[in-house]
Amino acid sequence: MSFVQDLSSSPDSAALIDFSPEASSLAIRGLSLAYGDKPALRDLTLRIPRHRVTAFIGPSGCGKSTLLRVFNRLHDLNDEVVRTGEVRLEGEEIHGPAVAVAELRRRVGMVFQAPNPFPMSIHDNVAFGLRLQGGLSKRKQDDIIEWALRSAALWDEVKDRLRASAWSLSGGQQQRLVIARTLAVGPEVLLLDEPASALDPISTLKIEELIRNLKTHLTLVLVTHNMQQAARVSDYTAFLQDGELVEYGPTDTLFTNPRLRRTENYITGRMA
Amino acid sequence: MPDSLPPSPVRRRLRQGRDRLATVLVTAGGIGVIAALLAIGVFLAVEVVPLFWSGGDTQTVSPRALWSPLQAEDDLAGYRWDPTATLGTEEPARVSLLPLAWGTLEAAAWALLIAVPLALGAAAHSALFMSPRLRSRLKPTLELMEALPGVVIGFVAGLVLAPWLERHLADGLAMLVLLVPGLLLAGALWSRLPPRLQQALPLGWAGLWLLPWLLLVLAVALWLSPWLEAWAFGGDLRQWLEVRLGLDLAVRNAIIVGMAMGFAVMPSVYSLAEDALSGVPRSLSEGAQALGASRWQTLWRVVLPAASPGVFAAVMIGAGRAVGETMIVLMASGNAALMTWNPLDGLRSLAATIAIELPEAGPDGLHYRLLLLAALLLFLFTFLVNTLAELVRTRLTRRYRRLGGVA
Amino acid sequence: MRLAKRSRARLPRGEGAGAWLAAGSVALSLLALLALLSLLAIRGLGHFWPASIALVALDDGRQLAGEQVREVPLPDGTGRERLYRIGNRDLDGTRWAWVPVSAIAAVSHPPELMVLERHRWGEAIGRLVAVESETGERLEGQAARAVLENRMTELASLRQARDTLRDEVVLPRVQALQEGGDVERELATANARLRELQAAMQAGHLTLETASGERWQVPLDQILRVRYPNAMSPLDKLVVWGEGVWRFLSEGPRAANTAGGVWPAIFGTVLMVMLMSILVTPFGVLAAIYLNEVAHQGRLTRLVRIAVRNLAGVPSIVYGVFGLGVFVYGIGGSLDEWFFDAALPSPTFGTGGLLWASLTLALLTLPVVIVATEEGLARIPDQQREGALALGATRLEMLTRVVLPMATPAMLTGVILAVARAAGEVAPLMLVGVAKLAPQVPVDADFPFLHLERKFMHLGYHIFDAAFHGGDVQAAMPLVYATALLLVLVILVLNLTAIFLRHHLSTRHGALSRR
Repeated sequence: MSFVQDLSSSPDSAALIDFSPEASSLAIRGLSLAYGDKPALRDLTLRIPRHRVTAFIGPSGCGKSTLLRVFNRLHDLNDEVVRTGEVRLEGEEIHGPAVAVAELRRRVGMVFQAPNPFPMSIHDNVAFGLRLQGGLSKRKQDDIIEWALRSAALWDEVKDRLRASAWSLSGGQQQRLVIARTLAVGPEVLLLDEPASALDPISTLKIEELIRNLKTHLTLVLVTHNMQQAARVSDYTAFLQDGELVEYGPTDTLFTNPRLRRTENYITGRMA
Repeated sequence: MPDSLPPSPVRRRLRQGRDRLATVLVTAGGIGVIAALLAIGVFLAVEVVPLFWSGGDTQTVSPRALWSPLQAEDDLAGYRWDPTATLGTEEPARVSLLPLAWGTLEAAAWALLIAVPLALGAAAHSALFMSPRLRSRLKPTLELMEALPGVVIGFVAGLVLAPWLERHLADGLAMLVLLVPGLLLAGALWSRLPPRLQQALPLGWAGLWLLPWLLLVLAVALWLSPWLEAWAFGGDLRQWLEVRLGLDLAVRNAIIVGMAMGFAVMPSVYSLAEDALSGVPRSLSEGAQALGASRWQTLWRVVLPAASPGVFAAVMIGAGRAVGETMIVLMASGNAALMTWNPLDGLRSLAATIAIELPEAGPDGLHYRLLLLAALLLFLFTFLVNTLAELVRTRLTRRYRRLGGVA
Repeated sequence: MRLAKRSRARLPRGEGAGAWLAAGSVALSLLALLALLSLLAIRGLGHFWPASIALVALDDGRQLAGEQVREVPLPDGTGRERLYRIGNRDLDGTRWAWVPVSAIAAVSHPPELMVLERHRWGEAIGRLVAVESETGERLEGQAARAVLENRMTELASLRQARDTLRDEVVLPRVQALQEGGDVERELATANARLRELQAAMQAGHLTLETASGERWQVPLDQILRVRYPNAMSPLDKLVVWGEGVWRFLSEGPRAANTAGGVWPAIFGTVLMVMLMSILVTPFGVLAAIYLNEVAHQGRLTRLVRIAVRNLAGVPSIVYGVFGLGVFVYGIGGSLDEWFFDAALPSPTFGTGGLLWASLTLALLTLPVVIVATEEGLARIPDQQREGALALGATRLEMLTRVVLPMATPAMLTGVILAVARAAGEVAPLMLVGVAKLAPQVPVDADFPFLHLERKFMHLGYHIFDAAFHGGDVQAAMPLVYATALLLVLVILVLNLTAIFLRHHLSTRHGALSRR
């Protein structure tokens, strides 16, 4: 059994590629979702490979952020959402009755478009998730905080002012702090919802570098508007339109040699 | 990565359990609190029912007695409120709520007559002309004015203002008459000032520098009033009113109540109207000014029509407050249940009647239930008026949002 | 010339009459507010200033001594008349005198005029003639003054000793006796000592000559304070003024609320407002959290929200009616039947009291707290909530660790506004438990220390009562002014705190939305 199955020979499938169940972190089958009577996702089926960066691209309102928020069940907050289909994390259905939502969200971390540090010190922001889990000595907790801040490439900038307010950081630093905060609770999957769209170019580069480094031990899913960014950091790219998965394949192939006219039009900027 | 976290299942279940418990408690508590609040209306309605309909033989009052005059008396004086002397006696019950409703509405009308022009004028000035620095100070100041307790305003109105006005009716009238010309004179003088002085006294700060001018105008009014009284009213205004117009003067009268309650209601009307006026998208008023309209014309032709629902809501809220205010009416009105058109006569409002009579009425009697009916009327009136205002306001906010305004 | 013309062309366009009337309404409102506040401040604080005593000689040879209160035109317009407070009510039957200005021959301020502040009958004004001690010893002139001064300090310490003895020794023993304790001997000694003190105080009297020449004797133990206002320097007067303000704040009312201080009313107001805020804060916050964070955000929630907002506009007297009908007659009546049937028919909880007043005001201010808290909650960006959830927090943890700390200033603002509203509210209290005069403060040393069923005094009601139900309104007016000033000050401070907090809140959130 190979890691990757090339599906390019079957022309009626949207996906160029499929991954074996062992190699995938998230497996989605027949997923549909609607806000009230407005459909947002239609019958999606795809697998997301472990320890790789997968990017979702597509026009605004295509459902890519919605899909991301399904993975850690943030949609539970909204009473209007109607969902069918399955989503498995490491083979286990995330909507199953035995699944604790809080624990799921610890395993599937998320970073949002605008940095959202809590109104507390830098240290307390990173410690927030750890304290929820409890059972850690102070020493151990501080070790993890240092490790998380180092992993997010922020340690050198903030090590002397861990007690300062997180809101005193710059936007790029805030976003890296949010990533560190998420890393500290030890997630398996990291969801990134346009993490650099509110940042300046230099901060954006730092975040992108961080994403490349993190895939050694994390599965990353990135939603972005910026196709250069998707091309720079992702291994696989899925193109969504109107809540449907149009095309999914290795990033190089999808950008240089898209199979469908719709994909080509979008990535070359000729939108219908 | 240091060793990944040890997610202990016990702790996880504990956290989950706590979360569920808290959700249940918050839901129960929240619904309970809100239900307790809403129970007020239900309580009043339920308690009033036995007044008109009781299963057994306890006394009831016919709805006619509440709203119709006594037999053999045809004019307004036929409507009487005198439950303590007539309930439970052989006499026909004199329990018409009309004089009380009349008093309530009369007091509210006078209050609005004074509060609305003042409040809307102040709102227009601060939304369009006032310097932002002064405005950011003025709003909290007037909010403080809103917080002044009714009992203090009522005391000053009933025991200081009323006796003064009784002695100095002509002075009061002269002040009122000279106020508007005095302000217009200020405007006329200002436009003739040299530009240097005009810059020193900008229109944006007029709310402040007009204060000494107003004091001067009032002083002139005091100085002129004996002359005015002699010239127009034959030397004694009070006598003139009595003889010529047949108006008696009660020390505590509807005008006093109106002034005091106008003072109390004005800040809330101002605050809401100002919000509505300054919420009108800038693009609208700037567009009008770009076409050459003066700021006052802009206000009148563009801003006011756009904000009219908000201004209407402000007036409604003011009406609700004026109808329900108890202490001011209690202390400044004389509490005589009269139905007259004479604004210099006393009045008695629903709220003041409840405050005076309910402690004496004792539970479950007819008198008690009559007063509860009065409370129910107040409740319904204010609730309806406020709901109306709230709906209008919500619609207005939506309209502004469509016009792309509102910071 | 040309230059002047050009500068005229640059003049701002005239704004017309309306603009000036609008500006005038701002000025007029401010003027009214200023006038009210300065009236309260001048009259309220001025009352404690020891005014000079005028000795007025009239045309017809009569004389009177008193403090000039005001001067007004005669009703027939022929001149002016003055009102003097001449005191000596037990002698003349009144403490006021109206004098036409035209009838005054001379006014002087002799330094020897004396004002006696007494337990009953208000003040006495006149000249000191002599002081007679218990042994019949009679002193006149300067010596009398010195003796009087000594005697006054002595009396003050005797009074203090008596009050301490009564409160700390006698009353607890009486209590113990009722409960069967064996303290009769101790009580007898204490009572004997009390009688001794009483006797020591009663000795002696002074002779006073009024302006009209009458002489009368005033027992020394009736006198609280002696002053010679005309002989005082401004600094002395300032000291006396400060003492007067302090006594106003710290003493109980005397003479049917027309004299003395307002301490029980301050205490009652503060206690009631504290109880109310303890009740309203958790429930208001709970309801706001439910509405904003837990409830399904549908049509019904929107309607409930509008209804809650509107309840803030329902007249306070209606809440009072609800409190009377449900709390006092309903719940209180049932409590009496179940637990206090021994005391019936005199009600324990079935009548207005501290608890019911606090509950009623809590209900009245509940919408204020709910609305303010909800606004605070709605202003917190959803990203903050999602951020917490994405880290694996449960909803409870998200609320307690992120959302509520951020909403605290809004909650505080709501509570302070509620307190300010409750402190000034009088109408509902008239129905559910305020008292004209409550000698017993609702807190004392007896178990359970806090007596929720007792009636209490309230600053706002004190104003209403003293101004409208007192016998001599004229005499009570200065105290009413002072009480009104105090109430307004309390409410202003509370509101300023709320405004400051709100400002602080908006700048903090400004920092948040800086990006």
